[in-house]
Amino acid sequence: MLARPLGRFAAAILVPITLLFTGQVLAADGQLRTLDTAHGEIQVPAHPQRVVTLYEAALDATLAVGVEPLGAVATRGGTDVADYIADRAQGVAIVGGPREINLEEVLRQRPDLILASPFLAEADYQRLSRIAPTVVPKHDAERPFGDDYWRKESELFADALGRHDQIEAVFEQLDQRIERLRQQLSPEGDVRVTLMRWNPQGPIVMSDKVFAGDVLRRLGFVAPEIAQTLSSRPHTDMLSLENLGRADGDWLLLATLNAEGRDALAAAQRQPAFQRLEAVRNGHVLTVDGQLWTSAAGPLAAERILDQIEEKMLGEPAADIAAQ
Amino acid sequence: MRFTRGLGFSLLALGVALCASLALGAGDVTPLQVLRWVLGDDDGNAGFVVTELRLPRSCVGIVVGAALGVAGNLLQTVTRNPLAEPDLLGVSAASTTAVVIAILLGASVTTLQVWVAVLGAMCGCALVLAAARLRGVGDDPIRLILAGAALKGVLTALVSLVLLLDQRSADEIRFWTIGALAGRGYQELLGVAAPLLLGVLLVAFLSRPLAALALGERVASGLGHRPRLTRWLTLLAVALLSGVAVALAGPIAFFGLVVPVLARALVGPDIRRTLPLCVLLGPAVLLAADVVARLLVRPSELPLGVVTAVIGAPVLVAVVRAHRLPRL
Repeated sequence: MLARPLGRFAAAILVPITLLFTGQVLAADGQLRTLDTAHGEIQVPAHPQRVVTLYEAALDATLAVGVEPLGAVATRGGTDVADYIADRAQGVAIVGGPREINLEEVLRQRPDLILASPFLAEADYQRLSRIAPTVVPKHDAERPFGDDYWRKESELFADALGRHDQIEAVFEQLDQRIERLRQQLSPEGDVRVTLMRWNPQGPIVMSDKVFAGDVLRRLGFVAPEIAQTLSSRPHTDMLSLENLGRADGDWLLLATLNAEGRDALAAAQRQPAFQRLEAVRNGHVLTVDGQLWTSAAGPLAAERILDQIEEKMLGEPAADIAAQ
Repeated sequence: MRFTRGLGFSLLALGVALCASLALGAGDVTPLQVLRWVLGDDDGNAGFVVTELRLPRSCVGIVVGAALGVAGNLLQTVTRNPLAEPDLLGVSAASTTAVVIAILLGASVTTLQVWVAVLGAMCGCALVLAAARLRGVGDDPIRLILAGAALKGVLTALVSLVLLLDQRSADEIRFWTIGALAGRGYQELLGVAAPLLLGVLLVAFLSRPLAALALGERVASGLGHRPRLTRWLTLLAVALLSGVAVALAGPIAFFGLVVPVLARALVGPDIRRTLPLCVLLGPAVLLAADVVARLLVRPSELPLGVVTAVIGAPVLVAVVRAHRLPRL
């Protein structure tokens, strides 16, 4: 007598729970698409409605194709999304940092699609993919920063959102702008630009294959040799001050993570080895926001980088150029 | 006779280490180029590298080495524990913690930082003394070190927490977790001049009462010294010197242990003899370690604290394993 209502009751409880943990949360219209990811082929809803991004570059690509995610992680060394993207991501909830994802917060958003970093830990993937289909870009452990690596990531995220055409258009626009700027800035491809983080003990030079370095390379700029020879790491170790000359160029870009560009520049100026550099003697030192230049990646970040280069290298001498 | 020989040896070691520190580096300037520059044949580069990079950091190294060597020697004498030294007992960690918190609160002036470092070291010393007076801890060298290790662990965790909150770049964090001489120079030295001078004066004034204290409290009192005051002033000197060292070069692991051990091996346990030796041997060992730090991973450099830890850890084990721990 009692069995049937009980069975019904159990079904009412269990069905949604099992649905939640099969990773097959059916989209509103129940259609699925197949996507090729680091964890093999996975099925994602054809029209995802509730997206959570757990990776700076995923947030960038998502906003670039006109989708507003419900949740995102804070940028490295910050408590919120990166400044450069903050105005576009105002309604986005923070669900952790780049290295510590808060699973409960992710779950609370009830996502139907999760976009994650290629460096996502296996254990995290297992948990996340039970909440919703989780898209992890493939990456080559030997050469994590191969040609076009960040573009391929952006494209995969856009595909997951069903917006392949939009991302193509975004990149086409970006490439045209890069080409125009290249003609103005380095038509011969011989302008040397160094992207570094300054420390009193010695600078760290960023690779020309990682996102911002890649954008600079496409603009026709040449990175110093120590940055070109890095294959699997995003930057060099702290360079000895005795070898500062190896990081010299026509332009120096100092990236600072804590928005204290002036402090970093002042600290560098106190170092005689820094003052000897050709770029410094010519007043060609620019401070740039490390959140954008060394933590971010994606088409929107690339546009912002181009804005800043345009403004600082082509415009009036910016205020933060090292005074002689 | 033995003292003269030990002094001569230490002087020689310091001379050799200083020459190496000026002649060798992670850059392309070779000892031969340096020699040419000394003889008046400058190619522009050698002169710059020696006068602007290697010499200033060598001067900082000399001060840090002497300060830590002497601080280690004083701590060992006052705690009567051959393993005591600023880093192992958490004095350096207390100093680092104070500086990091000051930076978090917005202190960027070097002169202020050094006093903050000294203040932190004083708190560390007070904790050491409190631990040493606990029954059972003070009598056993290993237990005191364990107490120090616990304190150091807590403080290190605190520093990590502060630095996580502070959102500074990882590179900046590294200096306050593992010390280095790179990029330090005369400006930093000027900043620490006052506490350094104070520490030196205190040490000069303390060597005799401390030697008496080594004979036991009663004997020291009989000789007209005041053991409690001596102990407190010694800890003040240790705090000043450790604070200066931390402000100059960050925390340098194990260093205060190695130098006094060497000094005692050369001239015996009397502090009136070991102290001047530590003043010479400290810089010699530190500069040698710094040269190694420069040469191992060119064109980069290792942080000095890594090298001293690698050298110092075996010494610690050797001292502990010695058949009898010498009671000081």
